[in-house]
Amino acid sequence: MIKQILSLALLVITSTSFAQHYKTYDWETTPSLHELTEAETKASSVRILQNHIVEYATGAFGGTLQSFETTHTITRVNDDKGIGRHNTVYIPMYGVKQVLDIKARTINSEGKITLLNKDNIKEVNNVETYGDFKIFAIEGVEQGSEIEVLYTVEKDYDMHGFQTIQSDFPIRSAEFLFITGDLNANVKAYRTETKFETTTVDGRNAKVLKLKNIPAMIEEEYATPDANKIEVIFQCFPKEQNITQELFWNNVVNNVGSQFFPKEYTENVKTDVTSIVKDLKEPTRFQIVNLVDDYIKTNFTVIKNNNPDLSNLEYILANRTASEFGILKVYAHYLTALEIEYEVVITANRFQFKFDPDFFNPNALRDFLIYIPQERKYVAPGHLEYRLGEAPFNILGNHGLYITKSFEYYFSKIIQNEKDYSRTTRESNISFGEDLEYVTIEQHHEYTGFWSVTNRAVLNLSPEQAVKQFEDYLTGSGIEDKVVENFEIKNKEMLQQTYNLPFIVNCTLKSESLLEEAGDSYIFQLGKVIGTQSELYQETERVNPIEMTYPNQYDYTITVNIPEGYEAEGLESINIKKNYLSINGVEIAKFESKYEQKGNQIIVTIQEFYKTNEFDLHRYEDFRTVINAASDFNKAAILIKPAE
Amino acid sequence: MKQLLLFAFLLPFLSFSQDFSNEDYIYLKRHEYIKVDLNKDAFTLEKTVSESAKYQTAKKLYFANESIYYDSFSVIEDIDAYTYHPDTDKTTKVDYIETKRAFDNGIFYSDQESKNFIFPAVRKGAITNLNYKEVIKDPHFMGLFRFGTFVPTKEAKLMVEFPKNVTIGYIDFHTEGIAIDFKQTTKGKKNIYTWSINNIQGFQGEDDTEEPLYFLPHIIVYIKSYEHKGKTHNVLNDVKDLYKWYNSLVERVDAKDLDKVYKIAEAVTQDVTTKHDKAEAIFNWVQDNITYVAFEDGLGGFIPRGAASVCDKRYGDCKDMANLLFEMLNHVGIDAYRTWIGTRNRPYSYYEVPTPMVDNHMITAAVIEKDTIFLDATDSYVPYGMPSGFTQTKEALIGIDATIFNIVKVPIQDASKSVSKVTSAIRLENGSIKVHEQRLLSGYEKVDMVSDYTYKKADKTEEEFLNTTLSLGNNKTKYTNITKTHFDNSNTPLELSYDLNIDNYAKSVGKKTFINLNIDKTLSKSKIDDLENRKYSKKIDYKFEKQYTTTFTVPEGYKVNSIPKDLSFEHPNYSFQINYTQEGSKIIQHKTIKINTLSIQKSEFESWNAFIKSLIKAYKKSITIEQIS
Repeated sequence: MIKQILSLALLVITSTSFAQHYKTYDWETTPSLHELTEAETKASSVRILQNHIVEYATGAFGGTLQSFETTHTITRVNDDKGIGRHNTVYIPMYGVKQVLDIKARTINSEGKITLLNKDNIKEVNNVETYGDFKIFAIEGVEQGSEIEVLYTVEKDYDMHGFQTIQSDFPIRSAEFLFITGDLNANVKAYRTETKFETTTVDGRNAKVLKLKNIPAMIEEEYATPDANKIEVIFQCFPKEQNITQELFWNNVVNNVGSQFFPKEYTENVKTDVTSIVKDLKEPTRFQIVNLVDDYIKTNFTVIKNNNPDLSNLEYILANRTASEFGILKVYAHYLTALEIEYEVVITANRFQFKFDPDFFNPNALRDFLIYIPQERKYVAPGHLEYRLGEAPFNILGNHGLYITKSFEYYFSKIIQNEKDYSRTTRESNISFGEDLEYVTIEQHHEYTGFWSVTNRAVLNLSPEQAVKQFEDYLTGSGIEDKVVENFEIKNKEMLQQTYNLPFIVNCTLKSESLLEEAGDSYIFQLGKVIGTQSELYQETERVNPIEMTYPNQYDYTITVNIPEGYEAEGLESINIKKNYLSINGVEIAKFESKYEQKGNQIIVTIQEFYKTNEFDLHRYEDFRTVINAASDFNKAAILIKPAE
Repeated sequence: MKQLLLFAFLLPFLSFSQDFSNEDYIYLKRHEYIKVDLNKDAFTLEKTVSESAKYQTAKKLYFANESIYYDSFSVIEDIDAYTYHPDTDKTTKVDYIETKRAFDNGIFYSDQESKNFIFPAVRKGAITNLNYKEVIKDPHFMGLFRFGTFVPTKEAKLMVEFPKNVTIGYIDFHTEGIAIDFKQTTKGKKNIYTWSINNIQGFQGEDDTEEPLYFLPHIIVYIKSYEHKGKTHNVLNDVKDLYKWYNSLVERVDAKDLDKVYKIAEAVTQDVTTKHDKAEAIFNWVQDNITYVAFEDGLGGFIPRGAASVCDKRYGDCKDMANLLFEMLNHVGIDAYRTWIGTRNRPYSYYEVPTPMVDNHMITAAVIEKDTIFLDATDSYVPYGMPSGFTQTKEALIGIDATIFNIVKVPIQDASKSVSKVTSAIRLENGSIKVHEQRLLSGYEKVDMVSDYTYKKADKTEEEFLNTTLSLGNNKTKYTNITKTHFDNSNTPLELSYDLNIDNYAKSVGKKTFINLNIDKTLSKSKIDDLENRKYSKKIDYKFEKQYTTTFTVPEGYKVNSIPKDLSFEHPNYSFQINYTQEGSKIIQHKTIKINTLSIQKSEFESWNAFIKSLIKAYKKSITIEQIS
């Protein structure tokens, strides 16, 4: 998206041209099956070889630069899942000038070779938001086959590019070859210790990254696996130009600045602005910006399509429809008209991209925020579920490029301003029904911060079926036979003019399953009152650094009223304490549950918190112990037996 | 349709009672006008769609994103769309429309496309209007009209205008208790049928229920026949015509190089003699060697690719596999037929709906010693002899020759064919529970487990997969020594065995220890919620039975203090029996749970919930043992 605001002028180039490397690169004339290690035979599929060649060259008659990209893979498929994962190939045609060659073949376990019939390559155009593709199904694949695909495309010259190297299956050998000859080029590899080596290919300067035995990037909890894959980012520009990273950033800042910091606001927004603040008597800055945010999100629609008018302010104001980029102009003009100071932040979803201030990568500039410095709060124009407040949690922790009114810029990590922003408090009062057939649970919950943002968004914006499922989650999730006798929600509306007002749920539940029978006694499954807590597994070595969705804290009080004539035993299992101390000794994560007994009441208090959303990978076990303490508590049960 | 007149007088009352004012978004009208023209023997069909919707709040502005889907059998023309604001009397037109290719992970190549645009300036109070024409290129695809949809509609109307020498057929579904007004009028040489309805509620999905077509009020309209020069020509008068048309398409199958296919058929059957064994060998070969890759491409979506080409490429969709089986089986002397079928997603019968709406799938039927065997190789794990689970109850249209066909219902597979037999030996060691368990899974119980193991296991370890799938004991249950045999598509039960270590499960107080032998609490989460508001039946994929034998060895130095009483729940469709016996130092629990239906109707909800409640109650009972001092 940022590409549309990049407009670096290119000098005309004159140079001699070389034969491109792809012309001589080819697969083995006769393929043969590869030996697998024992571990490799257990995977659904293994990539034996994965070569990417990116080559920039000067065109035959001088002129602009050319770029060629070759992809060559050999993949062994061991089972149905492996076949399903690799037997269809989609080659994106985004930015492709011409396809130079596509070929594919299969060798089965008996050595039989099936070559792809090129007539079966189909073209599909304008696929949803992904653009055009060439697609084909691999022919002759069986369990134990190896699939080999080799294709080269010439791309429209683009000085920036990237290649993801790691995948969700293991890769035995991967190579990224970057041939740039005498052109100016930069390349950076992410999330690998291996360094690029300098080399030459047909006398031309090149760099190569060679990796062996890349593990599969697996889905893990408290992680951002998609953003953590090994990846290469590259830049290439004419030899007469030596563009620094600073120049790239400056260019963005100037382009963005000129569009998002208008000297004067357009007259067209006057009516809107007047009506937005008309009911405010002594407006605070927070209330004004919050209303602007709410007004735009309930009167404008943000969409992705190729209509160029979606970033044209006049069109946007008339049609109330904008691109993610265009909607910022609306905010800019409203805020300018209301004399609110703001900065524009360019960043990315941390679950998809890790923003790197040291290396310019337009592909990772995906999200825009508006920062109100005097409030230390953000507006998230592309996030319908948010109103003025903390930055969206999927951005929190990433770095951002902050641009000020005077077109100055700085980089900063986007952090949560209010430490205790997201909290859940829950008071539960538990009593036992006649003949100890069932328990009644009266609950009062309060949610703040990201909890309340999510709760409001789901209840206001989702279809009926999802709302029902969510209401179920809000009322004793995990109690399988519960009957909800009372249910009430307060402060549900999206627009709240009191900052971080709690979202409140009151409910009364009945359950029989929480009370198990054992002879003349009963076992009360106290632990299940806090909802199902799943165990965090780690049977294989942890791959991803630990990133939680957001810092948060739970405070629960559960009061159990033991019926007359009975007494409780087995309370020891309630006392649990696990914590995680930072290097300087501060408790930054904790689960603690304890009880006290007052007459016929047992009062259980639980506190669980995570003061940050990032934890050290090397201390994964400590982190896991805290998380799993909640699932330990899940099993806490007390015995209720006739009083002696 | 008979009840229409009967309910007509209810209309004023209904419109008075339902103004839908608390809805976020409603349709003010949804109209379709289908114009059928006949020139000699060539039909032209043009459908004019006209819709208007209102945003009563600003919560669902995303409905402004509009997509009109179509495939190569139709063309979309003359889209006119705009937003109107009653408060300012202002109109803003849609000025940008994009054509996009549909892209679905389940379908590799599809000819489906959509016209996409966004209604401008939607906000609270806005009214959007959409008008367009759909030219239908083939008279077999007149489609269906939904009287109701996911949000309420104030006025829904379908009109069909057709020449008097054309006969139109129609059938409506789920319109009981709904006041549809049906009128027949004429306009020159044309007849006009009009169905209209006012103030129809929205239909939102529910959990574990059938596809929307099972409850949405809708109508299917089709061309039965026309008269030309005194002669009647059928189009889709009844299933005979549908079959004739289907058959004309499969006759176009590429039959070259069949020798290759025959060779494979001979090779895989060379070591077996009986017809059943041969059919099984061929079926398993196709299941194992042809990967399912789906294509939807105009009439190509109805014509199987040549069997030899499918064998070479090693992939195909349902019709490709059905045709390949047909060729291979017939070659080795087994009577096999290409067969059309609607999966359980389609609620129709061939006798009622003689149009391509009725089905969406193709299989092969083999007849051996008068037994009809349904072979669906798209299900890689279903054992020979059982139909794929999602075709049970459905009518199969079995093509015998160019004109003859049979319609046979795919039988519901008895619960005794899909059995999980679970044998568990439980010991108590230092306060922890140790279990050795063996599961023998047959029929669909096996199919489900094998495919979940293969596809859903994802990146999880086997232990985590089993723990989340079986949910035995508590969330800390540890699995070791996991083994699985007959992990395939054979008729031999899948054997799964493992050892469990469950901490913190047995509860000891003083000298007493309480242990709940129900470490598997299957179905305990199956209560149907919100009985007052729930509208639609609960769908069950297949009938099954679970048989448990759990043996607890009383540790030395302990005596048995109490064992739970026997419990059961009897109902023809769902039942369980649990009983406990003590034999020496062993307590043995026998537990059988049987689900003997594919659907729980609304009228049975309370009874079903009573069953689940009673099962949960039984699951709550522990045994008590006591240390002998």
